[in-house]
Amino acid sequence: MNPITPIINGLRITLEHLFKKPVTLQYPTERPKVAQRFRGLHALNVSHDKAKCVACYLCPTVCPAKCITVEAGEDANHDKYAARYEIDMLRCIFCGYCVEACPVDAVRMTGEFELANYHRSDFVYDKERLLEKK
Amino acid sequence: MVNLTIDDKQVTAPKNSTIYDAAKINGIKIPILCHDKKLKPFGACRMCLVEVEQMRGRQVPACTTPITEGMIIRTSTPDIIKARKMVLELLLLNHPIDCPVCDKGGDCDLQNLTYEYKVNANRFSDEKFHHEIDYSNPLIERDMNRCVLCGKCARICDEIVSFGALTFISRGIETKIGCEFEGSLNCEFCGSCVSVCPVGSLLARPFKFKARFWALTNQKSVCGYCGTGCNLTLGVKDNKVLTTVYDENQGFHNGQLCCRGRFGYQFINSDKRLNTPLVRKNGSLTEATWDEALELVAARLKGAGSSAAALATPRLTNEELVLFKRLMETAGSANYDHSAGYAHAALTEGFAKSFGAAASPATILDIQKSDLLLVIKTDSYETHPVIGFEINMAVKNKGVKLNILSDKRGKLSKLPDAQTLVHTPGSEIAVINALAKTILDDKLAAGTAAAIPGYADLEKALAGFTPEAVAGQSGLAASAIKRLANDYAKAEKALILFPIGNAYPGHNADLASAVANLALLTGKLGTEGSGVLCMAEKNNSQGAVDMGFYATSGLNAGQIMDGCASGAIKTLFVAGENPVVSYPNRAAISAALDKVEFLVVSDLFMTETAAMADVVLPACSFAEKEGTFTSVDRRVQHIKPAIRNIGQSRTDFEIFGQLIAKLGGQAPATPATVFGEIAASAPGYAGMSYASLGETGAFAPVAVTAAFVVPKTVAVEPAAGKLALVTGSALYHNGTLSQFGEGPMHVCPEGYLELSRTDAAKLQIKENDLLNVASAIGSTKLKARITPRMPEGVLFSPYHFGAAAINQVWSGAPVTWVTVTK
Repeated sequence: MNPITPIINGLRITLEHLFKKPVTLQYPTERPKVAQRFRGLHALNVSHDKAKCVACYLCPTVCPAKCITVEAGEDANHDKYAARYEIDMLRCIFCGYCVEACPVDAVRMTGEFELANYHRSDFVYDKERLLEKK
Repeated sequence: MVNLTIDDKQVTAPKNSTIYDAAKINGIKIPILCHDKKLKPFGACRMCLVEVEQMRGRQVPACTTPITEGMIIRTSTPDIIKARKMVLELLLLNHPIDCPVCDKGGDCDLQNLTYEYKVNANRFSDEKFHHEIDYSNPLIERDMNRCVLCGKCARICDEIVSFGALTFISRGIETKIGCEFEGSLNCEFCGSCVSVCPVGSLLARPFKFKARFWALTNQKSVCGYCGTGCNLTLGVKDNKVLTTVYDENQGFHNGQLCCRGRFGYQFINSDKRLNTPLVRKNGSLTEATWDEALELVAARLKGAGSSAAALATPRLTNEELVLFKRLMETAGSANYDHSAGYAHAALTEGFAKSFGAAASPATILDIQKSDLLLVIKTDSYETHPVIGFEINMAVKNKGVKLNILSDKRGKLSKLPDAQTLVHTPGSEIAVINALAKTILDDKLAAGTAAAIPGYADLEKALAGFTPEAVAGQSGLAASAIKRLANDYAKAEKALILFPIGNAYPGHNADLASAVANLALLTGKLGTEGSGVLCMAEKNNSQGAVDMGFYATSGLNAGQIMDGCASGAIKTLFVAGENPVVSYPNRAAISAALDKVEFLVVSDLFMTETAAMADVVLPACSFAEKEGTFTSVDRRVQHIKPAIRNIGQSRTDFEIFGQLIAKLGGQAPATPATVFGEIAASAPGYAGMSYASLGETGAFAPVAVTAAFVVPKTVAVEPAAGKLALVTGSALYHNGTLSQFGEGPMHVCPEGYLELSRTDAAKLQIKENDLLNVASAIGSTKLKARITPRMPEGVLFSPYHFGAAAINQVWSGAPVTWVTVTK
């Protein structure tokens, strides 16, 4: 092969890109459009003004990173609810198995990806922080 | 053995097996919902349908069909799988699919089978049930909406527990399991029904929503309450014992447990557990380091000689008791004892003289193999409920005749054809002597009896105990005594059972000798199904006796207390005992403990005794240590730690070892080393090791050297105008430890005074009235409980409760004469 051809091919690709929409985002002034099936921060779904979670322990069981802590409680009607629901985002690998395992559609993953924080303790999201914001 | 073919495999199975049993022992699994190996076949669920070549054209239930020679069985043909799927579809028709919130999820037979048979749709549709869920009691939750009507709960309650709290109610589609008059559950709360429920209909409330089954680590252990030696599986998560897990293959009792065994485990992880050593400074107990506390104790024990004394609870392991004894010997003292000094006398003095061994020459397994049981005191059921279940099964399934000699009636009296002889309190030894006398007079004694040493003396001593003479003082008919003597002597195999314990001072060496005489006279000893079983109170009472942890050359517990009061004992080390509550005469015990210069207590909790101590050492429960326990029939069982030590607590093994080292002695490194020494020295333990004990344990054989011993009888003189108070054990409690178990405290939270209807009417007492009970030594207040089982003039009160303070009234006599006022 002619030694010049690859160089010309390279330059051609560069030239083509000059006329395309840029891939780089000027974050944070420009924001990405998050895909609908993106797996970001978790949210606990709410129904009838309370979390749908019934504390069945399937998400902590399936979680490969062991980042979910659930403690069940008994409410006034003797029903089961999550007295404690915590996800340690430092451990989470965003695999989405928790969402898949949930039998009552109580947990989903949102498009929220900006999870940086200053303290380790701030990465542990408790039930209050995880409840979906209306 | 019968030869048959199951799934093209040639197998053999014992005669009398069902197809299900035959398949099971040959490793072929047949799915089933309504079967438990303890229960009789029932055939309710129709999951175990199989095809039999010889019964062409229909499917037969494996669990109710007996095997025959040459049977050809197929357990999983396409037709059968289709039938089983349909059974599951029909069950799931009404069963709510609330697995995510059902605590049975993960351990549910119906869930597992649904998964296995891939039943993910239902061809039928119907409404779910809308039964009301019974939340009314704190131990067992009943949700009949989930019920599959296998009937296991009703059957176990009837066949084994013999209570009959649950049964089928209504017919057809409306059938459900319920209690009498559709009321709420009010029973013994042994939880047997919960253990066998294949679905989530019956659930243990103490464990409700605590964890899922798959998150638990199961550790096999031995129950730490009574001396039966039941095996337990502890369900552990995050260093917490959260529940007991049922295992039908565990122990002689096949996983069957009583209320305290199943629901009384919460003391292990109780918030009230002691976490740090405490040392008394300026009059109050303050936190200290282990070094500081142990130094103080070691300094007191060093060279203390006979001014030091020790009391241990027979809940310690054999290894710990050996080490405690060694610690006292290093300190130069022979003053050590347990169980108030008298509760073990039936073994250490009675059997030691009569049988030449301080152990019972019978095992729990003999109960079901016997022809006749003679039970002394109906309390035997309350003190050792799982032995009580064995008696139930013996009487109901094996047709064993039950005779009871007791000062009150009880649950055992209600068994089919049970003969209860209710004698006046304190006259049992006289009655047993009268039985022996009748046997001699009616020439029913075995030919071998005359050759046993002491025969002539016994014959002479029994002269005054004719049934007619004893009938007067015992309140029994002479004919009843004669009948019992005849029945006992003529039965081919007969077994005598009696409980001992802190609350049974009348069950002493003399009673043991009297009972032993009966067995020796008639030769009911040394063969299967015959003998005498002395049921020691605590989980290692027999072990404490075997380890020699009782007064031989030193002072016994009673004398130690006297020594404390007189100032002769200056240092007292109490390991796990709570004498203030469990020893008779609280005023005297408290005064003695107040007087003693230096009191060391190692315990799990801040007990009434620990509160008086100068040094309190936090000890470990059975779930945190390794060692061996010896049950009433000398089954030696090995326990391993299920959880790590709570807080800074240390096992008594570590505490004694470190103290021995501080006193300049040689402390053994591990419990296994000490057990090696036990195997070399303790009678009957030869050749045992942790490895050889395994999961089932091993019996330490009892070598009998028979001798007749004349028992002393003390006639109880009735006090005019007073009632006879007898102490004992409540069904839900054992010692004082069960006060820290939530289950037992839910059912039986406080002491009470049981009295007859006649006495209640006479004194115008109503149920739950607060009564003032006064004796010669003091008084206490107890709630009234009026029951039909008490004879007139007799009162009963359990001794376990610190707050009820029955030992302010009870001085340690078998019968206390009291007055009762409102």
